Amino acid sequence: MKFFIDNLPIIFPYDRIYPEQYAYMCDLKRTLDATGHCVLEMPSGTGKTVSLLSLIVSYQQFYPTKRKLIYCSRTVPEIEKALAELKRLMAYRIKFAETAEQKVKEESFMGLGLTSRKNLCIHPDVSKEKKGKVVDARCRDLTNSAACEKGRADPGSVELCDWHENLGKGEPGSLIPPGIWTLADVLQHGRENKTCPYFTVRRMMPFVDVIIYSFHYLLDPKVAEQVSKELSKDAIVVFDEAHNIDNVCIESLSIDLTRPMLDSAARSVVKLGEKIEEIKKTDAAKLQDEYARLVEGLQESVADASDEDAFMANPVLPDDLLKEAVPGNIRKAEHFVAFLKRFVEYLKTRMRVLHVVAETPLSFLQHLKDITYIERRPLRFCAERLQSMIRTLELNRLDEHSALQKVASFATLVATYEKGFLLILEPFETDNATVPNPIFHFTCLDPSLAIKPVFEHFSSVVITSGTISPLDMYPKMLQFTPVVQETYPMTLTRNAFLPLVITRGSDQVAISSRFEVRNDPAVVRNFGSILIEYSKIVPDGIVAFFPSYLYMESIVAAWNDMGILNEVWKNKLIFVETPDANETSIALENYRRACDNGRGAVLLSVARGKVSEGIDFDHNYGRAVIMFGVPYQYTESRILKARLEYLRDAYRIRESEFLGFDAMRNAAQCVGRVLRGKTDWGLMVFADKRFARADKRAKLPRWINQYITEVASNLSTDMALTLSKLFMRTISQNPNENQTGVSLWTLEDIEKAQAKQKEQALLMEQQQEQEDDMDVDYGDGGIDDDVILGLDV
Amino acid sequence: MPTTLCSAKASYKKQAGTLELTDSHLTWTQEGKKVPAVRVPHLEASSLFCSKEGAAQVRLKLGLVNDEAGHNFTFTSPSAVAHVEREAFKQELTNIISRNRSAAPTPLQKPTPLSTPAKTPAPIPSTSRATSVASDSRTPILSGIDAATDFRLRKKVLLSNPELLALHKELVMSGHITESEFWDGREHLLLAEAAAEGQKRGRPGQLVDPRPQTVEGGEVKIVITPQLVHDIFDEFPVVAKAYNDNVPNKLSEAEFWKRYFQSKLFNAHRASIRSSATQHVVKNDPIFDKYLEKDDDELEPRRARNEVSDLFINIGATLEDHVETGNEKDVTMQAGRQRGALPLIRKFNEHSERLLNSALGEVPPAKRRRIDSGIDDDEDAYAQITLDDLRDPEAMSGITLQMQDRERYFEGQLARSASEQAGGEVVDVRAAFAELKHGFRGWETRFSQFRIDKKAGDAALDSMTQNVSARLDIRTRKTDLPPTLFRQLTTCQTAANEFLRQFWTSLYPPPTTTSSGATPSQTAAKAAKMAGYLSKTREKVEALVRAGQLEGVEPERVEVAMKPLLDAVEHALAFYRARSAKTSTLKTA
Repeated sequence: MKFFIDNLPIIFPYDRIYPEQYAYMCDLKRTLDATGHCVLEMPSGTGKTVSLLSLIVSYQQFYPTKRKLIYCSRTVPEIEKALAELKRLMAYRIKFAETAEQKVKEESFMGLGLTSRKNLCIHPDVSKEKKGKVVDARCRDLTNSAACEKGRADPGSVELCDWHENLGKGEPGSLIPPGIWTLADVLQHGRENKTCPYFTVRRMMPFVDVIIYSFHYLLDPKVAEQVSKELSKDAIVVFDEAHNIDNVCIESLSIDLTRPMLDSAARSVVKLGEKIEEIKKTDAAKLQDEYARLVEGLQESVADASDEDAFMANPVLPDDLLKEAVPGNIRKAEHFVAFLKRFVEYLKTRMRVLHVVAETPLSFLQHLKDITYIERRPLRFCAERLQSMIRTLELNRLDEHSALQKVASFATLVATYEKGFLLILEPFETDNATVPNPIFHFTCLDPSLAIKPVFEHFSSVVITSGTISPLDMYPKMLQFTPVVQETYPMTLTRNAFLPLVITRGSDQVAISSRFEVRNDPAVVRNFGSILIEYSKIVPDGIVAFFPSYLYMESIVAAWNDMGILNEVWKNKLIFVETPDANETSIALENYRRACDNGRGAVLLSVARGKVSEGIDFDHNYGRAVIMFGVPYQYTESRILKARLEYLRDAYRIRESEFLGFDAMRNAAQCVGRVLRGKTDWGLMVFADKRFARADKRAKLPRWINQYITEVASNLSTDMALTLSKLFMRTISQNPNENQTGVSLWTLEDIEKAQAKQKEQALLMEQQQEQEDDMDVDYGDGGIDDDVILGLDV
Repeated sequence: MPTTLCSAKASYKKQAGTLELTDSHLTWTQEGKKVPAVRVPHLEASSLFCSKEGAAQVRLKLGLVNDEAGHNFTFTSPSAVAHVEREAFKQELTNIISRNRSAAPTPLQKPTPLSTPAKTPAPIPSTSRATSVASDSRTPILSGIDAATDFRLRKKVLLSNPELLALHKELVMSGHITESEFWDGREHLLLAEAAAEGQKRGRPGQLVDPRPQTVEGGEVKIVITPQLVHDIFDEFPVVAKAYNDNVPNKLSEAEFWKRYFQSKLFNAHRASIRSSATQHVVKNDPIFDKYLEKDDDELEPRRARNEVSDLFINIGATLEDHVETGNEKDVTMQAGRQRGALPLIRKFNEHSERLLNSALGEVPPAKRRRIDSGIDDDEDAYAQITLDDLRDPEAMSGITLQMQDRERYFEGQLARSASEQAGGEVVDVRAAFAELKHGFRGWETRFSQFRIDKKAGDAALDSMTQNVSARLDIRTRKTDLPPTLFRQLTTCQTAANEFLRQFWTSLYPPPTTTSSGATPSQTAAKAAKMAGYLSKTREKVEALVRAGQLEGVEPERVEVAMKPLLDAVEHALAFYRARSAKTSTLKTA
């Protein structure tokens, strides 16, 4: 259908629209008009992605400025889904285009998705590699400009990638016909035309209207530097499913070093030294050239690198880059190698300490200087200097040197940032371990650091998710001021989902995943009996989430020994998330088959685990979700403790507040996966007595919380079962009442709502005028020019 | 007379008799009786249990498809003879059972995971653990059903539905209507029954996990049944391999099992995390330890599998989407730290997959690889993302109304509306509004003068009270019709209803009749017959009234009770008369 928001024509690829989708689009448009940032929470499964894309594409196609859309999501399944959603939208727009020119315009609209080489490679050998790092390295060996030059000049001398070579024959900018290409489509196109899908996407990026990739490509400076630096300022940035965005920010600036890594780095240093000696004999001019370049300054050497050559970008944020020449003491290759060697040796000695050390970067640098005389300034250039040297030496198989690259990144980061970071050395993995396995954590504590350049660079940043409550937490943590901050309730003509809080088993023993009681047999049995009983009454799929892998693995074993799983086997098949991603995907595939077939299955997985992110359990894939326990983070973790302390000191966020918020956003995220559309239905079972507390529930998104009744907030297992049965009986009946007009809007309903809005605006304006008469200074009534413009229409 | 495969003296429920196995049934006849007391068709046999060799009594237990408890027979001949007899029965029954199983719905050879040895070493020629009813090629479409099955289905339906049975007795047995007439219009019941019969029972989901029972004296006992043996071979092909390699050359069968259950191999197969703890107590066993595999407890599974190509559920793709960043996860969030649980978890996933494959067949690898991403795949992908309820259901194509002389209809409409328009005077809105406004003037004063007559209010209240009390009266009065009369009334009612149903269906046959290929003359004859029956209804009711009087029930009550029925019958008869009059006039004309 087609309707107008103010004067912007919106094409929405359905005949009806949910009221929340309409409201969401209005607020989104407000943000774009104001060129500001916003935080929007829209109930899961109410078509957030399609509303977002529908509005933004309409916006792009209507205004001549053609602002590019950068759409970021968390996982590849979500990226692929967003691309499919966009493809469907564009097909609809083409089909219903009113004029011929309009149709041409729609057809030339272009959208692509980007992911790693590992996921996009179709080279018969390279794509077989298991590790992404190896794929990257081998791909670079086959495609870097030096190799290409050699290979083209003298065919056969160097192995090249045919798929990449074929790409060079095409016109840049039209390597792939316009339209929307999902990742699967791009792969297919590559296979058919024998071209490289990865570089097709990379080279087409300046020409597309929409690019969809994951958070890291924008937030992680190492990747963003290569991929996203050329994006224009007026682009619209969307972070979808952004409830964990703070973690992604922190991750992108944190590094771990282990002893095997340092050993490998030391070996790499030796190899580099040998290589330098070799080159000195054969091609000393090369090193001279590099030296000369470095004396002049670093900038040009980076700028002329093409996509194929880039392998390791600077790990620090663009603003913190030093725009000056590399210090003299590491300009010479052999000096730099010696420098690296000393630094690695220093780190190795630090690792020998057998007690936990936590220190600030400043104290680390001081100690480093005292012991090794390494200054802070050359350390800051470590990553760039290494990059330049590797390029000069034309090294192959860079994956073998990845540990050294990591050390160099670590050096640069530690020397660049004083605030918001902490170094923690943990000699033992667990408290009762006796064999040391030291890890040196360099951890970022402040999520606002990594996202700051994004907010500064781009004019409109949209942060949205199904579960992003409490809303004010995000602006606080990420340090930005949104122009719009909104959460939408879910309008339903009948309750499509039933949230239940089970606080005790049928035997009245309180259940909880609290550390002290979680392994109590009574609690384990009561958790088990919840699963048994629900496997009896719920059709098709049930998904159960545990607070951690450790707990899930131990409870699965315990349940098996107690005979609980045997009872479940009688009713449903059982699938469990495993450490291996592919194995889990296969389990998931089989789980879906079992649900489709009617046999029914139970999937046991972990909140914040692999499955909880990005996999939907809509319709028959999830008729019930059971959350066993509150998914708190492991509070004994030193990194978490440091982060909590930082949040308290820097942003006045209390520890308990953050922990509760974090647990509830993850619980809500797990539970929200069951709904897709308003005809879908599902049970949401929160099994822990701590969910009954009002302060916990208040942290759930409003759209879930509003449906938790007083009765359903404190149940025993048998009471919950009775309620669930009742619910399923009612929901399985055909809905008599027409949803249209209430939870589903037709075009007329939209127009009605708009008329009402205008009336109210008019009324407010009149009031405003009256008030203005009384008090001239009183301004800012919240009506923007657009509303007044709209009135004239 | 069916041929007898074997027979023996055996007692059943402590009564002596003869057990016989024919080529279609297993029967047991009590001594001195001719009709067998137990008669089990081969198809129903699902499992077999035998008493231990050397036990005091030689017993045989047969489990049935719908009844796990089954039948227990004790061979009463002298011990040595009994054994021989039992073996004969066992042999035959095992074959029958395995035949039943292998005729399972999808007779797919279950793939043996791991590298399969050259021959599949299952001593029992059965492939699937599914205790499924052998799926005979019966289709639920009635037309193709032979008379015998049809009869059986009808019987089953009637037996499961007492009311229908009573009606059947009343009408068909008494010869009022024929069998086929009775079932005409009730095909759905038969269809449902046939479908229910045709449904196959899947494999039970439980893991094969023989748990030892502890008998007194600290000894451990595991009861081995042929069923269990088969299940073990199915679940753990390596045991089947061991069996094939060693029995009977190196080990006797009994010894084989004894050693297996004491071996590390068995402990590795047991679905328990505790078994690893008992491992050091278990003795080494040179034969079985050869077959021992390393525990599958690494983070990556030992058996590499193809990647899932569906990007919507590919979790691995996300891991490889960008370089690893950030600090290591805390201890609780590192998957696979409980290494003991990993083999167990893998076992669950594999077991579930095996069950699924046994029912649905393997996922063809072609489907996994998404090579031809044509339109179909797009549709498939869209199906996963579209919101169905946002589609306008009314926008679907309706059924166009077929009308004769459509133009005339519309012309007529047009003409009429035109004439109306011409005749209808144009209303002056302004004047009408003014008039209305005038009419409203002073409504407040008039409203205050408004009085309601007391009498009318009282009357209304009165009637309401009466209504309530009447209802209450009825509610409190019990249905005190004598039970025999009441039963008669209901039978009369249902019979008449059935006649009515037959009558109307013969006049207005449903548009999609599946079975009745009756000619118009037949239906007319049927209608006449039904009308004849219906016309007798009044007499019947009168007889009931009289009978009621004898039992002391006021005739009015019976009449009231039967009134709606009589009305319906009257209506039908009137209609029939009118119709037949019309047809006769037509004919005469």
